[in-house]
Amino acid sequence: MNTVLYLNAYLRCMSGFIIIFLQIFILGGCSQIDESVSPPNTFVFGRGSDAQKLDPADIDDGESVNTLAQICEGLVRFKSGTLDIQPWLARSYTISKDGLTYTFELREGVRFHDGTPLNAETALFTFKRQLDNSHPAHFSKASFQYWKNLFQEIKTVRAIGPMSLEFKLSEPNASILYSLATFPAWLISPMAFESHGEAIVRRPIGTGPYRFLDWKPNQAIILEKNQDYWGSEAGFERLIMRTIPDNTLRLLELKAGKIHALDGLQPAELTELDDNRKFTIHTQPGMNIGYLAFSSYAKRLRSPAIRHAIAMAIDRKAIVDLALDGFAKVAEYPIPPGFLGEPINSRPPIIHDPEAARKILNKYPKLLEQPIELHTFTAPRPYFPDPLIIASLIRSDLENVNLKVEIISRDFKSHLITARQGNFELALLGWSGDNGDPDNFLATFFASWAAVAGSATNISFYKNKDMDNLLITGRQQTDLKQRQKTYRQALMIWARDLPLIPLIHTKQIVVTRSEVTGFQLQKTANLFFGPISWQSL
Amino acid sequence: MIVANVHKFKVFLIECLHKGIMLILVFVIASVVIFTAVNLIPGDPVSLRLKNPDPTRVAAIRTELGLNKPLPHQYFYYVISFVQGNWGKSLITGQKVREEISTYFPATIELALIALFLGVILGLGVTLSTQCFKSTLWRNTAFSLGALGLTVPIFWLGFMFIVIGSLWLGWFPSGGRFDFTLPVPQGSGFLIFDSLAAGRLDLLCVTYQYLALPVFCLSLYPAALVCNVLKTRFADPRLDTLIRALRAKGLSESRIWLIHILRLLSAPVITVIGTNFGTLLCGAVLTESVFSWPGMGRYLIEAVLNRDLFVIENGLLLIIILAFLIISTADLLAFRLNPTMKSLSD
Repeated sequence: MNTVLYLNAYLRCMSGFIIIFLQIFILGGCSQIDESVSPPNTFVFGRGSDAQKLDPADIDDGESVNTLAQICEGLVRFKSGTLDIQPWLARSYTISKDGLTYTFELREGVRFHDGTPLNAETALFTFKRQLDNSHPAHFSKASFQYWKNLFQEIKTVRAIGPMSLEFKLSEPNASILYSLATFPAWLISPMAFESHGEAIVRRPIGTGPYRFLDWKPNQAIILEKNQDYWGSEAGFERLIMRTIPDNTLRLLELKAGKIHALDGLQPAELTELDDNRKFTIHTQPGMNIGYLAFSSYAKRLRSPAIRHAIAMAIDRKAIVDLALDGFAKVAEYPIPPGFLGEPINSRPPIIHDPEAARKILNKYPKLLEQPIELHTFTAPRPYFPDPLIIASLIRSDLENVNLKVEIISRDFKSHLITARQGNFELALLGWSGDNGDPDNFLATFFASWAAVAGSATNISFYKNKDMDNLLITGRQQTDLKQRQKTYRQALMIWARDLPLIPLIHTKQIVVTRSEVTGFQLQKTANLFFGPISWQSL
Repeated sequence: MIVANVHKFKVFLIECLHKGIMLILVFVIASVVIFTAVNLIPGDPVSLRLKNPDPTRVAAIRTELGLNKPLPHQYFYYVISFVQGNWGKSLITGQKVREEISTYFPATIELALIALFLGVILGLGVTLSTQCFKSTLWRNTAFSLGALGLTVPIFWLGFMFIVIGSLWLGWFPSGGRFDFTLPVPQGSGFLIFDSLAAGRLDLLCVTYQYLALPVFCLSLYPAALVCNVLKTRFADPRLDTLIRALRAKGLSESRIWLIHILRLLSAPVITVIGTNFGTLLCGAVLTESVFSWPGMGRYLIEAVLNRDLFVIENGLLLIIILAFLIISTADLLAFRLNPTMKSLSD
């Protein structure tokens, strides 16, 4: 009796709810997306994190830069796939003999996405706002970090004709032209600032092949084709940069055809795609370096002999093979291969020789007693996809030469605090190059002015007058041969004192569907989707 | 009768006052704890966000943000500006924290509310069904399913849902909140609302599709809670007597169930959901991570990892206050539904 009553009541109560519930699932199943991809008019790119802000002058994360790479352009650019300078929004440029004046002739007929024509006056805005502290668009809370680091020699910028722009330098700087090709010098429309004020950091207006449409934070940035583009037309009506934090899910979405390309995969995750003809894996050595630094404040490790012994003990080839599945290259020098100043055909400064290392270290019995602190971090970075594994490989190498090692692992920001204070014995860290110039690496690692506690990029806190002088000279030299000599000397001082051990240069990895054509990886690791299009197989 | 009502109202008012004082206490303690914690974390959030910080510029930005003022001054400024709704700007994105929260908050609320709703229905359904089919086998199965919701970690469960629902069946997307190749309905930020308001059933359909897996995953926890509470209620033999009495009074079945019994059962359900709302939010954070859901949970976790000062300070405080308000409201509601509860529990 009771059972019947309960059943009755149950059905009565639940019927409404069950209908709603079923509805969710039926509706859910009803509009499946077709897996076969017909030529889409929207290109969707998947990546691990969202952009932070879209102001070229105040960013340093790859996601923000890669978004802006579709929207904005500079006076000059790196010729696709190389580090050669190519005039871009400037038709041509001239450099005065003393290396102090750079003049750019702008291209005619270029318009910003808001219709503002490109001329000397409108181009000036981008540089003035970074240079001039009292400029209304010199936002009080923006860092303008690159202006200080890459463009510090620029004294004035002015328009000397309707279409010509002149940069005056306080002293010659050979890398300034390269710096002008990097993202902090990409042009944005001054009218955008007039109408949107500080909100331009969320809605960039440039001259590029795609224009900004909408930004759903942590989900997607939506761009559309710039119909008025001066160069060759973009291949898609829309371009979407989707944020999918989890690597596995991102890969799933690629396989399901919901995104057409992705980056940020670990080398090991590529094995799933190896034999799949539907996808193309683009890979190329990146302009980056992952290194192991000795802190100058660690008294035990001050002697160059000990540092050399530790360097000899580490099997960097094993790191490349085991931790990166071969998607990296052993770093011989603290600059990426092919950079100016890299010694050619000479004996590598660090050779793996645990036997010799053991012999040297045996002379320091005290060093072998207490474990050495090796600081590392947990989340992947472009130069170290798995820093923990790299740390444990180094530990086993060092234990092999009788050293005791304690790994201390923290989240990236906490690790950065320790590193920038020099508060460690050994620490793993890396650097991604900005402008393809050796100064961008060597001054970052070895200049005494980069060794300020709390904000140091010279985390070894290495201070050497000769090194400083060479770095300053290198900056001012315009003759390539002489610069090369200067940087070779700087590298010799590095090899003598060994404040850091270069470990690896990782390769960039981008996977696209095979139908995507025209994509090329860049040395700067910027992703340019302007030239890509869809070619049905 | 009137006297009794006045008395009831008085008790209710006192209860409200009690909650009000608690709210102020919670606010003070929470703000102090958050502020101290944020200031105890070593390192400077301004320079940490930069790849290549310049000490003079960093110092200028710190002054601009008021980070060089004495700590008590900073604390009072923090509390006052929180109350005024002036929550500063994110150090990372440069956007107003209030605007950011207004984009992430609807996503979390949409997820949590629908999951809560579904959870209660599931829990109620399972418990009622065990009452209908008095088979021990079904009963045990149902309640072990309930235990599943309480014990299995969401990140595993979520992943299983993705594997089954997305990878094998291909019915649902594996993550995210919307398909951005379609036009996004604009408005309140609640996509169900917005797509209905725009009159676009196809977009509503897509919204549902994206909601289904995370909602189902998150709903198992409240479902299990409801199951456990109702199980004990149904075990009470007096319930049968009550139903029989009401039936003898000549009331219709729907009246008995939908008004009397549901009301009787709703008080403990509301209390248990209310008091466990914190855990539900916690589950929402995990669910958001698994399903790439752009909500408050992921936003705050990223803020903590990035040392995004004002987001941590104001976002966390807001969540704490909200959680407290929800728990208190649930308490008061349960109290209204059944004023004897307090004396019983005392």
